[in-house]
Amino acid sequence: MTVGPEQPAHRVDAEHLELGGGLEVLLAAAVERVAPGGVLEIRTPSRPVALELLGWARLAGHEPIDQISRPDGHVVRIRRGASTRILAESLPPRETGPPLRNGELHTADWRYGALPPEPDPRAGFAPLRAVPETRASTHHWQLNRRDKVWADDIGELVDQASGQQWDASRDIPWQAAHGLDDTTERAVAQVMTFLAQNEYAALYVPAGFLPQVNPQLVELVLWLSSHVHDEARHIEVFTKRSLAGGHHGYALASTELSLSSLLDEHDFTASSLLLNVLGEGTFLDLLRFIETHAPDAATATAARLAHRDERRHVHFGISNIKRSVSIDPDAAEPLVTAAENRAAKLVSLSGLSPVLVEALTIMAARSLQPADLSDAATDVRALMRTMERNRLRRLQACGFDAATARHLSDLHTPNLM
Amino acid sequence: MSDAELRLGAVAYHPRIVTIWERFRTYFADAGVPTDYILFSNYERLVDAVLEGTVDIGWNTNTAYVALDHRAAGKGSGEGGEGGTRILGMRDVDRDWATVLAMRKGRKPGSVAELTGHVLALGSRDSGHAAILPPYYLAREGLDVASCRLLRFDTDLGKHGDTGDSELHVVRAVAEGEADAGALSAAYFSAFRAESVPAVADLEIVWRSPDYYHCNFTALDSLDRELSDRWSRALLAMDYDDPSLRPAMDLEGVRRWYPGDREGYASLQTAMREQALLS
Repeated sequence: MTVGPEQPAHRVDAEHLELGGGLEVLLAAAVERVAPGGVLEIRTPSRPVALELLGWARLAGHEPIDQISRPDGHVVRIRRGASTRILAESLPPRETGPPLRNGELHTADWRYGALPPEPDPRAGFAPLRAVPETRASTHHWQLNRRDKVWADDIGELVDQASGQQWDASRDIPWQAAHGLDDTTERAVAQVMTFLAQNEYAALYVPAGFLPQVNPQLVELVLWLSSHVHDEARHIEVFTKRSLAGGHHGYALASTELSLSSLLDEHDFTASSLLLNVLGEGTFLDLLRFIETHAPDAATATAARLAHRDERRHVHFGISNIKRSVSIDPDAAEPLVTAAENRAAKLVSLSGLSPVLVEALTIMAARSLQPADLSDAATDVRALMRTMERNRLRRLQACGFDAATARHLSDLHTPNLM
Repeated sequence: MSDAELRLGAVAYHPRIVTIWERFRTYFADAGVPTDYILFSNYERLVDAVLEGTVDIGWNTNTAYVALDHRAAGKGSGEGGEGGTRILGMRDVDRDWATVLAMRKGRKPGSVAELTGHVLALGSRDSGHAAILPPYYLAREGLDVASCRLLRFDTDLGKHGDTGDSELHVVRAVAEGEADAGALSAAYFSAFRAESVPAVADLEIVWRSPDYYHCNFTALDSLDRELSDRWSRALLAMDYDDPSLRPAMDLEGVRRWYPGDREGYASLQTAMREQALLS
């Protein structure tokens, strides 16, 4: 049947609905059933509603045709406007939702198909599968290429980060931090100060990358956010432990210099190498040492919980670099250059600060007795060897050959982070 | 410095006017009719500027257009009506503008004439839709306007009702019982409804005027015909589906531009003459 120009393509009965009282919702749905240029006929028993419909139609982008009063009510005809209400592609048909695992919806399972290598930057903050409305200007996302920033198991890492949150105010047995002797407490305060100072850089680096990420790489957005949140808690817990016993430590200039060179690195993958793999990787061994040798349960618990978070960060770094280097073997060289450049900025640093070495030793010895100090010093030396061995292992896990791994390890900052 | 071929005058009744015309200025430049804009604080000054040649085109309300057309009579060749001016275009919404009468729900009279002797709220006295045309149309519906107490809200004078402020006062006066009925544009009533303005929640429309025209782009007849045609063609080609134009067009309240004509200004012309608003 051919519908004439003024013949309604669809009719809707407003019954007793009014504009402002739900009628506009019924009409929006009814208009969708009429092609642009087609006529919608609206019946209402109310003359005021009929009169108001003419103004509503124009405001909604349609053309009022006429309004006729009849004994059985009022009829308003409008012609659907030609312009689309939302400038966008049509919404996709209903789909089967993401699969569940034992009733759980995992981040690794929420995508339909693979993430494109360069997701559309114009999509902006459109959540997954949402259809973005077309806009004139779009933000330029500097981190837009999947292969530059991705890790194959990023979905699992995001879920782990959510599942392993903890509370630095309540989950630490703070009472245990009270009562250490002056010598030990002063050493603990220095070690905690060093940790907290380093954790600032560990927060600022991912925080700096976060607003550069194309939101379509949503797993990376969630990941970096969790990284930032983890480091905020580490700053909090180590600061609290440094304060808890009443003594205070030095924020060392050598540490500051080392950390500022981390902030200078603006390449995402190079930053993964310097911060996640080398810096946080080395911290894993330091935190394990502190947990093992802590003179009190508060210090031990803080180190253990932070260690659990740092493992995820190191895992991401290795996964990111491994993927990057396996896709593009040429990607390894700029990473080495980045490590060399950083080392060049840190030539004035020679070895781990004696202030920290002494504090670690006293903390482990819990006294200044020569016998205790001797054992503790042995343990600290062993820590340095462990750090180097594990650094090489992690670098090789990234895909670097043994010689390159050795070179990179040797270049690593004496400040540890 | 400007290399504009045309100077367009508009009234800055809201900060968004700058946003609109910055975008449209780029559009006209891209369309090959470079057009600069000059903003005025009131329509009277804009009408003066068109007549004096300070601007080539005025983006006028209906009240401003009728005043301009009246004053320009005799200055140009005249194409109908009072003559001397040329309409270069108008919005889709300008072609079926209307005044409505709002009352509190349930108080609707059998006819407009029954409002005789009641309190009628009107908007700014220079607003065609909220002050000048209501008495004109209501008198023709049988209302003895002289018997009514007119509650006027003369806010934002010089803006000819563009801001909607006086119409907000009108609906509030009706909602609060200070007036029995209030006149405003159908467009503003619908906008208040869409924005869930509390005052209109318990109001309903009891009467709607015949359609008339609202704003238009006006030039004097002396403007070069080829140039004004080129400008009109560019205006009419503006595409609402262009994502770079849609925000500005939304701010201007237009989805499509139309060529204009004088037909829809006859009622206002008569009303203004009757009310001694044309000098």
